Amino acid sequence: MATRKRTLLKVIILGDSGVGKTSLMNQYVNKKFSNQYKATIGADFLTKEVQVEDRLVTMQIWDTAGQERFQSLGVAFYRGADCCVLVYDVNVMKSFENLDNWRNEFLIQANPSDRENFPFVVLGNKVDIDGGNSRVVAEKKAKGWCTSKGNIPYFETSAKEDLNVEAAFQCIAKNALKNETEEEIYLPDTIDVNNGGSQSKSTCEC
Amino acid sequence: MATRPGDYTHFKSIVPLKRVSIGTKYWRYYDYGPKSVPPLICIPGTAGTAEVFYKQILTLSSKGYRVIAADAPPVWSHQEWVNSFEKFLDTIGVHHVHIYGTSLGGFLAQLFAHYRPRRVQSLVLSNTFLDTREFAAATTWSSLITWTPEFLLKRYILSGIRDGPQEPLIADSIDFVVSQLETLSKKELAARLTLNTTVGAIGQVLVPDSDITIMDTNDYCATPQALREEVGVRYGGARKAVLKTGGDFPFLSRADEVNLHLQLHLRRVGVEALVVTKGPGGSDDSAQGEDGRGFLQHPDLGMPPAEGGTGEGSSTSSSNSSASEAYRQKAGLGNEWTMCPCNATDWDSRKKFPLDLLVAASIEATIQGHGLPNDGLLGGSKVSIMRYWQLAMYNLY
Ligand SMILES: Nc1nc2c(ncn2[C@@H]2O[C@H](COP(=O)(O)OP(=O)(O)OP(=O)(O)O)[C@@H](O)[C@H]2O)c(=O)[nH]1
Ligand SMILES: [Mg+2]
Repeated sequence: MATRKRTLLKVIILGDSGVGKTSLMNQYVNKKFSNQYKATIGADFLTKEVQVEDRLVTMQIWDTAGQERFQSLGVAFYRGADCCVLVYDVNVMKSFENLDNWRNEFLIQANPSDRENFPFVVLGNKVDIDGGNSRVVAEKKAKGWCTSKGNIPYFETSAKEDLNVEAAFQCIAKNALKNETEEEIYLPDTIDVNNGGSQSKSTCEC
Repeated sequence: MATRPGDYTHFKSIVPLKRVSIGTKYWRYYDYGPKSVPPLICIPGTAGTAEVFYKQILTLSSKGYRVIAADAPPVWSHQEWVNSFEKFLDTIGVHHVHIYGTSLGGFLAQLFAHYRPRRVQSLVLSNTFLDTREFAAATTWSSLITWTPEFLLKRYILSGIRDGPQEPLIADSIDFVVSQLETLSKKELAARLTLNTTVGAIGQVLVPDSDITIMDTNDYCATPQALREEVGVRYGGARKAVLKTGGDFPFLSRADEVNLHLQLHLRRVGVEALVVTKGPGGSDDSAQGEDGRGFLQHPDLGMPPAEGGTGEGSSTSSSNSSASEAYRQKAGLGNEWTMCPCNATDWDSRKKFPLDLLVAASIEATIQGHGLPNDGLLGGSKVSIMRYWQLAMYNLY
């Protein structure tokens, strides 16, 4: 009886403290939201089975601590990451400016084989607040940054109102899967029979 | 050879091997980390020894957890193992346990949880199974295990391990386990194989799914995937901490990831690491228990920052000796935290054997052809057994 091994996609969520990383993950996986803020200590993960195109894959989503003093669990979870999600709060300029640092941090720690093409996805969260009146980062500005970093897909989300969360994670899964399959081709030892798909480089248009 | 923090030589130089007699037999084990913390007990698979968990012992103890890695003496039935393990725990004064069991060790951990529901608080199950029937069926010569020469037992134990070129960390992990296998006596090997191939299945386990983590490797391992999936189905609500790669011995080849998952597991089931604050301002950091930076490491032990090359340990150790003394006391550390002049085995030079089930099977046939009884073999004299083996080998080759 030959059961094919499951595809495991590893996704890392990074961003400043309080931007809503934990809330986004909870909304996506558990369909729950809480107004209460509890800083993430170290890191933790949730898993979710997702359908990407015609494949059922397991997504292991790592939520990390934005507060530096709580980043205590080391960097082991970076290993083998397939996609990195950078989150900022559209109402806090600093959290946007820090995206560069988070991206660099990821590239240093995870050290992906293909730095140029490693999939990132950027989420501008909390667009619900004040009906958008308190936002300080314009969509255009965020998109500009994403374009300059190699066309990173960008979503404006609200974990609170479940806005765009599903769509964002679909895109994350899709890009992660693309990365995972490409990685496997280069592994000398791996026999992967189901990998007939095309290797188009375009970021997802979801 | 110089000892690097975190390597095996370093481990052997700071963590003493202990032995405790249970009846006429001895358990060998390592017990490291603060005694006031409920321990995580690591149980190896057929091919492993307590030593295979040295990276867990070093790293988790440095983060304030207590880790015990234990090797059972030769026992010949599942029930005997459960009884012996219970007496072992009683003897070392441990009542409630969290168990991390890999392959056969995972099976035995579940068995213990079934028979002693009140003692097992949580389980981490790795590359394991619910039922030995498949192994029993595949090992038609299991009744001859005690007759089988050592090299064939080893060969059989190693048969599931993937041959061929490996990524360096996985290759190292296999070499290490093979070197450990070399330290086992024939009797020990035979007992382990007997446990693995005796028909048995896990009954009801009362540990709630929320207190179970399943940590499988996703690349390959000797435990067939169908059997591993049964474990996932049985404990449907368990946390699934899948590692992308790591092979059969992720505790060696992916120690940093395994340690992270073990920490997350212990945190989730409410085990608090023993943390000593570094002084003003540090208290809220470390109160959470898993902040390596808040935990004062024991300076004169030269605790490793992390296992080789991972850069995981961002911990800074204070060399304030009165603080270290405070830690020692608070941690309930006794003399066992002193140097132990053990020698590391030279495991680089060991070899590994290829799969050879067929040989074993045909030897069985050969022996039966010679009219040997095939049960209750323990009483046979060594000389006559050897003679039959010579005969058997002669007929084969
Ligand atoms: N209005 C609104 N509030 C949100 C949204 N997302 C998160 N929040 C709130 O923002 C606060 C911080 O959210 P978290 O998800 O804990 O932030 P985090 O990024 O995980 O923070 P760290 O764990 O410290 O890194 C909480 O009080 C949330 O309820 C959102 O989309 N809209
Ligand atoms: Mg958080």
